[in-house]
Amino acid sequence: MSRRGDGPRSIRRSSDDCDRPNHPPLPLVSDGRIAGSTKKLYAARMSSQAEDVNNEAAELRLEVAALKAQLEESTKSTTKYLQNVAHQLTAPLNAIKWSIEALKDKTVPLERKSKLLSSIYSQGTILVHLIKNFSLMSNLEADHELGQFREKPERVDPLRLAINLANDFQPQAFEGAKHINVDEGTFQEVFGEQRLLVVKNLIAQALSNLLENAVKYSNLQTSIAVEAVEMRIPKLGDGTWTGISVQSVGLPILPEEFKKLTDRGFRGVAARQKIPAGTGIGLYLAERVMDMHQGQLYGRVDGSTTTFMLLFPEARIK
Amino acid sequence: MSSPNLKVLLVDDEPSQPLALSLESRGFDCIIATDMSSAVTALEKNDIAALVTDVMMPPGQRFGRIDSSEAGIHLITYVKKNWPRLPIVCLSVIGDQVKIKLLTDRGVRYLRKGETPLSTAVEVVAAVATGTRVQVGTNEDSNRRRR
Repeated sequence: MSRRGDGPRSIRRSSDDCDRPNHPPLPLVSDGRIAGSTKKLYAARMSSQAEDVNNEAAELRLEVAALKAQLEESTKSTTKYLQNVAHQLTAPLNAIKWSIEALKDKTVPLERKSKLLSSIYSQGTILVHLIKNFSLMSNLEADHELGQFREKPERVDPLRLAINLANDFQPQAFEGAKHINVDEGTFQEVFGEQRLLVVKNLIAQALSNLLENAVKYSNLQTSIAVEAVEMRIPKLGDGTWTGISVQSVGLPILPEEFKKLTDRGFRGVAARQKIPAGTGIGLYLAERVMDMHQGQLYGRVDGSTTTFMLLFPEARIK
Repeated sequence: MSSPNLKVLLVDDEPSQPLALSLESRGFDCIIATDMSSAVTALEKNDIAALVTDVMMPPGQRFGRIDSSEAGIHLITYVKKNWPRLPIVCLSVIGDQVKIKLLTDRGVRYLRKGETPLSTAVEVVAAVATGTRVQVGTNEDSNRRRR
């Protein structure tokens, strides 16, 4: 109803535009009336301006539609992500609660209860690891912006670190008849008496993320090899890189997905299909941690064998 | 509540040991499947008294195109079509009331992980497997009471 009133206002606005240099004022006859030819000229100009306005409005409508679609997509993925996080937190918590209930259940034979204790331990490890990753997310962002660590780097025994973390993940690995094998010989050979000069918590979390992925995505009844490595990477300069590698056999990674593995929140199609719940932040965090240590997260895929390495520059080996 | 030889199929990519142990200690045989395909295979090969399934799980080879985030829903649809009389319990973390209502409207009993005590889950599964009336307050019932 009031839409009719909108018309003249927009025309008036358009006519104001006529004062711009590229629109010379319309000619008038001597008594101030508008001549017939001028009216035509005026109408033509108005029509052209109306067309411009319409085109601009159509463009804006398209832009609004695109932004709306983007917002919807973002809301959808946030919801999906939160569902994922909820699933990941609830599943181990529920497993712990139920295991405790089953332990208290007198009808469950005693000899079968020991399995539950191991399950409680591995679910606890999953939970702690997950929560640490979430808290690391915010801390790392801040550290990265500051360009310095919150904690002071310390000398860390890489073999001890690898063994402790392997022990943490072993109960979870056993559930899939997998075994984490830390090759002590390679550590002695590569590091000898030397240590890593790093922030222990950060490196522990980065290595945990590699181990967790290996346990999750490797095939049943396989071994996960943890070794010390020393190598040269020509594209990264002349120096030697030293560190820890985690190798597993399982889910093949597509070449086009490989480059995206360290993108925040990214999970490959096969990974999502095999393990529906996942945050996709493990390798992202590992790369950030290595960046802060002037190191590298280095990955290699050979068929179904995947190797990820935490590599440190010479300055971090003391 | 002893019901010897009744088989319960538990479908979850992270199978619940406490649930399996508790059901087994009450005389049920538990068959565990970790994806949709192996669940359907287990149903084809065994005389199952009740199906307990999660929602998020891998689809497995046979149903490879199904999105893992909803494979359990597809499994329920498939089971309803092929084994219409098989009682189903859905044990999951989903909180979406629309999805839950869609399930309960189809006769699926929904138990929410993290909120349902093990003893309740065991009693519900045992009851649907033996065809007895569920006596215990389920998660939805207790939610309704709270409201």
